[in-house]
Amino acid sequence: MNDMSFKENVEKALANTRLSETLHTFGDGYLVAREKAFAGLDFQAMREELGAIKDDVRVNRKALLAEFIKNAEAAGSTVFIAKDTKEANDYVASLARKKGAKTIAKSKSMVSEEAHFNRAMAAAGIESVETDLGEWILQLAGQRPSHLVMPAIHLVKEEVSALFSKDAGKTLAPEIKPLVEYSRKRLRDEYFRADIGLTGANFLVANTGGIGLVTNEGNARLCSTLPKVHVVFAGIHKLVRNMEDAIKITRLLPRNATAQLLTSYITWIRGAVPCDGGTKEQHIVLIDGGRSTLYESEACRDALRCIQCGACANVCPVYQTVGGHVFGSVYISAIGVILTAFYEGLEKAEPLVRACIGCRSCSAVCPVNIDLEEIILKLRHEVTEKYGMGTVKNVAFRAVMKNRNLFHTMIKAASRLQGPVTQKGSSPSERRVIRHLPMHFMEKDITGWRDLPAIAPRSFRDLFKTLEQKVKNPICTVGFFVGCGGDFVYPEVGVKMVKVLNRLGVKVVFPQGQNCCGIPALYSGDTETGKDLARQSVKAFCDVDVDYILSICPTCTMGVRRDFAERLKDEPEWAEKAKVIGAKVLDASAFLENVLHASEKLKAMNLQGSEAVTYHDSCHLKRGSGVFAEPRALLESAGYTVKEMANSDRCCGFGGTYSFLTHPQISKQITADKVENIRNTAVKTVAVDCPGCMMMIGGALGKQDETIRCVHTMELLADSFGV
Amino acid sequence: MFEELKSLYMEKATLVGCEVVALQDLKEAAKYIKEKTEGPLLVPDSTLCTRFGLKSLLQDTGVTLHEGSFREAGHLPAGGVTFSNFAIGESGTIVLDSTPEEVRLATTIPEKYFVIVDPVTIVADGLGAVEAMTALHSGHEPRYVAYISGPSRTADIERVLTIGAHGPREVHVLLIEGISSDFMEN
Repeated sequence: MNDMSFKENVEKALANTRLSETLHTFGDGYLVAREKAFAGLDFQAMREELGAIKDDVRVNRKALLAEFIKNAEAAGSTVFIAKDTKEANDYVASLARKKGAKTIAKSKSMVSEEAHFNRAMAAAGIESVETDLGEWILQLAGQRPSHLVMPAIHLVKEEVSALFSKDAGKTLAPEIKPLVEYSRKRLRDEYFRADIGLTGANFLVANTGGIGLVTNEGNARLCSTLPKVHVVFAGIHKLVRNMEDAIKITRLLPRNATAQLLTSYITWIRGAVPCDGGTKEQHIVLIDGGRSTLYESEACRDALRCIQCGACANVCPVYQTVGGHVFGSVYISAIGVILTAFYEGLEKAEPLVRACIGCRSCSAVCPVNIDLEEIILKLRHEVTEKYGMGTVKNVAFRAVMKNRNLFHTMIKAASRLQGPVTQKGSSPSERRVIRHLPMHFMEKDITGWRDLPAIAPRSFRDLFKTLEQKVKNPICTVGFFVGCGGDFVYPEVGVKMVKVLNRLGVKVVFPQGQNCCGIPALYSGDTETGKDLARQSVKAFCDVDVDYILSICPTCTMGVRRDFAERLKDEPEWAEKAKVIGAKVLDASAFLENVLHASEKLKAMNLQGSEAVTYHDSCHLKRGSGVFAEPRALLESAGYTVKEMANSDRCCGFGGTYSFLTHPQISKQITADKVENIRNTAVKTVAVDCPGCMMMIGGALGKQDETIRCVHTMELLADSFGV
Repeated sequence: MFEELKSLYMEKATLVGCEVVALQDLKEAAKYIKEKTEGPLLVPDSTLCTRFGLKSLLQDTGVTLHEGSFREAGHLPAGGVTFSNFAIGESGTIVLDSTPEEVRLATTIPEKYFVIVDPVTIVADGLGAVEAMTALHSGHEPRYVAYISGPSRTADIERVLTIGAHGPREVHVLLIEGISSDFMEN
């Protein structure tokens, strides 16, 4: 898929509002049901344990694979290791020839999708019939799954009835129950008729030599019972050590996939079981297909912990907007981005790698603790190395941002040049905005649906020099990492933060040598620029003596805390310094609440900010730093009433350059959801802790509802102080 | 503890769509089954089936049992009846060693499935099943073990939960004390 066809697919998907509505309803319901399924359990502890189990399997995979094979063979199974999916298909085709087999009844198996199994069998003259309802629907439609667990989620009953009517040779009504009934009777014949039954495997248990199948419909039980030959298709990463490991997977998989405590069936099969008066012939085809290569990749190998629950799609704002046929290949959504790169090649994965908005929802919901977002970020670096990142970014990141003085001079120049298109706002919260761009061709994607933030006439770094901090006997001194949004777009936020801190007895220092956190470059895959920027800021903060470094942008916090040391790891001296700096950084709200215990102090002041506000959780604040209770506590104690919006922690659609340069159409849709949730609260102020979210939400509100303002928590705190 | 596990199981099995009834003895069970179906029933031989003479208890009620190979019972026979090895409270699951093919057919192809559970075999949760599951897989004999938690279901069309995709559309759990406390037999 090249970039143009990806863009066309995006536009087509965006035109299909029904699909997006379906995926949103599903996603909302999923979150509620899932929470209930995990009630009383410690999800974090469970996923860490399962992640560790899968890591142990990775380390010992060769011995475990040998143990599995030995035990399976001892129980009468025939085991074949296929180095790729073609070998796996060939094995089954040759087996069928030997047996004189004409038909295969197959249950759901993702690796068989990867192998394009049905197509390969058809080419070999063998009829392979899907028996999972969703998969059968897709087989009749000639389509591929758009979700790991709910393959036909993109289709409606009218489409299904048309397909079934064609199969039946008579008209069937578009009613779900009779349609399911039709497939029940129709497919029953297939199990009895089939010469071979094919199933997947959710786990391969090394110390028993058995497989496990986690299912709801019961077709895998029929496929593994009625035909005389049973073929198991399984990726080698499905190995676990023992029964206990497998049972631990069954505790997380259904809960995270479909919010079930357990699926209707879990089926444990070892060896050649009795069959029609004799013994069944069982073949286990263990498929590598790029998995060994993925295991060797230190940066990406965690992806093989995956137990295929599909949850990373359920929570992904990009998936919800465009669906799995666009945001995915055989495997979809976050895990699909990674697996596509390894199983189908980086070229195929390139547009997918770029389409991730970086909100970290997938990482938060993963039942085996894969930091999917971070792996995608690493892949983006690879993609950029190989395919470049486009001229605009090349000039912006490489030529300009690395040179701090040039960068800041250009921003000043830009602030003057944008004059003709900038408007001083008239609405409640209005700031300087760009309502329309003069270039008509950019209008549709860029400013047609939201105002762009304008560059402030004076940056924070200039304003700070004139700030007078009247703090007698400060209780502590903190450094301030302002970030680009805070420096050049919303300098007033930093100013207000300094005033709030001063009022609470804290003095602020601002090292002028600091530069961009580097995340925009890094998220575009430009690691070199990222390194250079990290060194500049590390140096600036090493020169000042502070215990804490505050940030008003959670993406910067993540950049400094997590990425500086990682980026500089090959330069030990810098890495050491970066670690020290990284350990000091935290978001202003987190500092105020967790270090200063400001909400207690604010309560004691009895502040009277009576306004109602709603709070939007920034992706990187909640899922990057675990901060979400703090700003709410601060706002409440400063006299505001926080009225929660629906899905407050769902991405606003910003994603940095994602919404400006690469995927504005997808962003537009995600932002529209956010605006709707805000409007539904009937509150006129939305608070955030991130300049990026301010740009996105504020900009969209500017076009869609000027009566609502979007402000930083620090501004609201300053307002309640009257500073 | 026993009563707690029993009521946990009853609650959870009901939640996943099972009909759960506590009965006095197998005679009552046979009567219950006859009320729900005329048969023919697939009743596979098993240790407990023989020990308690389940087939003749069923026949005494007048219900028809399928004779001969279960593969010849048609594609959608009326019902199947088995005992169970043990059960899991948390998820409303019954665990059944289904290695003999007749057991598998009796639990997969019929419209209705009846399973007899001794409440003394209920464990609290999935982890409570590890020991028994490991024991069932000792040695190298071929083995086919089924966890069954309610009727067959699908949500593949418009995410609407629909019962009776490919397996039994009804699961009746008959709780009877004093059958067997041995997790290795059914």
